Amino acid sequence: MSIIFKDVHRYFGSKKVLTGVNMSVQPGEKLFVIGTSGVGKSVTIKHIIGLLKPTSGEVSVDGVRVDKVSEKELFTIRRKVAMVFQASALFDSLSLLENVMLPIRKHLKLKDAEVRKKAMALLDEVGMLKHAGLYPSEIGDGMRKRVAIARALSLDPAYVLFDEPTTGLDPVSARRVDSLISQLATERNAGCIIVSHDLVSIFSTATKIAMVYKGIIYKEGPIEDFHSSTDPVIRQFLSGSSSGPMETPGF
Amino acid sequence: MYNLIAKIGEGALNLCHETGGLLHLLFMVIKSLFPPRFDPGEFLRNLYKMGVKSVPIIILTAFFTGGIMVIQASVFVKRFGATSLVGWGAGYAVFREVGPILLGLMFSGRVGSNNTAELGTMVVTEQIDGLKALGIDPMQYLIVPRVLSMIIMLFLLTIIGDVIAIVGAALFGILIADVSFAAFWTSFSQNVHVADVVHGLIKAGVFGFIVSLTSCYAGMTVRGGAVGVGRAVNNAVVTAALGIVISDYFLTYSLS
Ligand SMILES: Nc1ncnc2c1ncn2[C@@H]1O[C@H](COP(=O)(O)OP(=O)(O)OP(=O)(O)O)[C@@H](O)[C@H]1O
Ligand SMILES: [Mg+2]
Repeated sequence: MSIIFKDVHRYFGSKKVLTGVNMSVQPGEKLFVIGTSGVGKSVTIKHIIGLLKPTSGEVSVDGVRVDKVSEKELFTIRRKVAMVFQASALFDSLSLLENVMLPIRKHLKLKDAEVRKKAMALLDEVGMLKHAGLYPSEIGDGMRKRVAIARALSLDPAYVLFDEPTTGLDPVSARRVDSLISQLATERNAGCIIVSHDLVSIFSTATKIAMVYKGIIYKEGPIEDFHSSTDPVIRQFLSGSSSGPMETPGF
Repeated sequence: MYNLIAKIGEGALNLCHETGGLLHLLFMVIKSLFPPRFDPGEFLRNLYKMGVKSVPIIILTAFFTGGIMVIQASVFVKRFGATSLVGWGAGYAVFREVGPILLGLMFSGRVGSNNTAELGTMVVTEQIDGLKALGIDPMQYLIVPRVLSMIIMLFLLTIIGDVIAIVGAALFGILIADVSFAAFWTSFSQNVHVADVVHGLIKAGVFGFIVSLTSCYAGMTVRGGAVGVGRAVNNAVVTAALGIVISDYFLTYSLS
């Protein structure tokens, strides 16, 4: 039972974004994926639900090779592994409540009233219940992200992928998201992969960190390893210093 | 010289690529229909949005189309006193050609372009990936309901349009060409046959099919952000218009 990356390469044309990613996450773990922007963090986690296929290498979820299965089998994986997108990906044409109701209505054989009730409970959990009737275009980024989290949790996933869940959130909401993630991991034993730049979030929540750098997982390990690391690249990233050995593409 | 050949080759490859993409989309749509697996709620919503909301513009277009037919004819009608031809001429032209083509183009402009923009925006804002991530098949949830709605609605709108166009023609006949309603009606009812209506409705069905497929394809294959969406809408409308005119030629040819 785990998500495993084995030597995953992913190229876009001649652009080599991932060149041998190895990492894994078990149920109950909170793996934070860190790295500079544009390094390929979003690309990495999209492989887990088959939105991207590796150029070479293996990605498996609980023993099923995601890179090999048919589109139809992918839909079973996707019910088990939820994803919160970096830009939320809420459906413009549906109200916030309808956004959360959609997957429940589609997958769980529930009566309409029960679907509504479940969706409202989820929105309440992220503090968005009083805005349930609004549309995604009527609220800000931070609020959209919270609704996206509620929607992702609607099918009781075994794994949840968060792409920068606290970016754009005020500190209070951000800490609430952190505790929501911790709750998922401890109470429901969900495996969480969180892409994040939020150092507070990382050091208060992570059980494990994987750092993406130059197409590979430069270092993966428990949080203490990063705290005590003397590697100059890691030190520079964690201290947020502009000078150091780290290569930041584009600068 | 080498460049020219390369350009032609590239163009041919692109054409094959696009045709292949369209056929693949068609195949996927058909696959989702047997047995029918599509979202009924979305289907109804699209029937309303694409069909019911198009009624005013279709009525307006049809009314004046009927009128124009008569205005064009009125010069000759007056000169030769051919009042007994007006009803027949208007009905024949509107039902078989002008009606389906103009309404098809109108529908493409209003509904097809909107559809492309909507799907394209969903692609670039990752809403399509979002659907997939929730274990919902975009084909069944988005595409099939839209394709069906467009085909059905253009067909129905053309029936409405036909009626309105004849009303328009009769009215303009009375006002402009001095053709009494009785004369118009006699000419119309004696010379225009069910076959003419059917001819036009077959075309409407085909045009609906063309608009739906090209607009969905253009939307789903958008690349490159908002600029890409604009380009796709443009492509969709041009492709649909070409498709309508070219298929009309072949349909007219093979149906008569
Ligand atoms: N569909 C695609 N086609 C071509 N290139 C892509 C595609 N998706 C991602 N890339 C490229 O892959 C690289 C990594 O992108 P990715 O979105 O994973 O970065 P990231 O680490 O998530 O950065 P950020 O922190 O800014 O979100 C980028 O250079 C991007 O241009
Ligand atoms: Mg990203």
